[in-house]
Amino acid sequence: MGRQRGGPVIELRNCSKRYPSQLGQAAVDALEGVDLTIRPEEFVCLLGPSGCGKTTLLKAIAGLVSLDEGEVYIDGDLVTGPGPDRAMVFQDFALLPWADVVTNVAFGLELRGVPKATREKKAFELVQAVGLAGFDHHFPRQLSGGMQQRVGLARALAVDPQILLMDEPFGALDALTRRLLQEDLLTLLDRRRKTVVFVTHSMDEAVRLGDRVVLMTPRPGQVRDIVEVGLPRPRPPDLEKHPRFAELLEYLWQQLREMRP
Amino acid sequence: MLQLSFLPPFSSVLRAAMDLIISGQILGNLRASLIGLAIGFGLAVSSGVMTGLMMGRYRAVETMLEPFVNAFLAAPRLVFVPILYALFGVGRGVQVGIVFLSAFFVIVVNTMGGIQQVSASHVEMARSFGAGERQLLLRVLLPGALPMTMAGLRLGMGRAVKGMISGEMFIALFGMGALLRTYGSRFDSAKVFAILLIIVIVALVCSYAVALVERRLTRWMEPAA
Repeated sequence: MGRQRGGPVIELRNCSKRYPSQLGQAAVDALEGVDLTIRPEEFVCLLGPSGCGKTTLLKAIAGLVSLDEGEVYIDGDLVTGPGPDRAMVFQDFALLPWADVVTNVAFGLELRGVPKATREKKAFELVQAVGLAGFDHHFPRQLSGGMQQRVGLARALAVDPQILLMDEPFGALDALTRRLLQEDLLTLLDRRRKTVVFVTHSMDEAVRLGDRVVLMTPRPGQVRDIVEVGLPRPRPPDLEKHPRFAELLEYLWQQLREMRP
Repeated sequence: MLQLSFLPPFSSVLRAAMDLIISGQILGNLRASLIGLAIGFGLAVSSGVMTGLMMGRYRAVETMLEPFVNAFLAAPRLVFVPILYALFGVGRGVQVGIVFLSAFFVIVVNTMGGIQQVSASHVEMARSFGAGERQLLLRVLLPGALPMTMAGLRLGMGRAVKGMISGEMFIALFGMGALLRTYGSRFDSAKVFAILLIIVIVALVCSYAVALVERRLTRWMEPAA
């Protein structure tokens, strides 16, 4: 996998995916003719109401979903399956309940055959980095939701991917925990230059985090608009006072409201 | 007509047990029983977990084997004793065979159920980190199914002990079952109850041994202290 200076480019060309009808449910056009180019080291948020195909799009980039039409290219290479250049963070955390924090964080490295001592050292560092020092040998069920997602984030960062794919990672968390994790994510990414594709249905989250917001419509899942956020980085703590912030939220809300069926 | 004289007092049961132990009849037969139990149960666990894993993971294997598994699960095990006779001759083979048949199917069904219950998001997560099929089976599905598998092992152990005793009573050559039959045919009810007592103790010890392994392996499920 060739690495260009400044990280990889992700290109989606004419991507379509239809889930066939089953058990009395109509077929769903999850994606229809989606074209999108994600720039190197960009933070892109996919925003839209539920059922707009944003998760399908993310999983297509991850190589977990096969498209009916169209292709995904990373640095010009066709995506045919998961690869070491990408790592994913899941909405439901997807931690292994029988493994402690360190073992969970090291899981991706374990699958790649990294020796135990090496991968646990790396995992230990990341556990510290995501703010879970001292919880190395706790099991997932002993942790709060926010802490569990910190483990999920550490697991993704442990394999040092060029592309971080995040599927509504903070969607299951309370508002306070969510804000803290948003801030910590940005801090973590400051020191690690990565391309991030972040699925969310929160306008606030998309604007706080993203360089660009890709607005998607449901059924069929299509790109309706792409908005440049244009807020300063690093994002100031009083971002809400920035006139651009309110302006963006207002604009996104108008757009989403028009989508209402 | 109730012949209460055949119901011995507990003191004579204990005395009979002492007699049997001192005369060495228990030791030799218990040893013969436990060897058969260990071999049969060991085979049932290894092949049962493997079969359950395959059936739980691959729909085609499940479709192919499930009718047989269900049939064997319901069939009385002693039906197979004559067939085992024919296959192995009278001896260890029959005993091991009946232990195996008693434990195997319940282990298969539980493991299969456990595999199918592993959350789809764990499978997807592992695939996203590049897990191959083999890694998926060994690192995600098998550990995920462990609580159910271990429950199957406990059920299987109970059935294995029952199967072993019935089988030994049937062949009446060696083992605790054979001893039971010998004294049963003499209407020596104190000895029969004494042997039963020892069998129950052995079964409890075996069951606790499996439970102990289960507790060790599924500690992650225990509620946080």
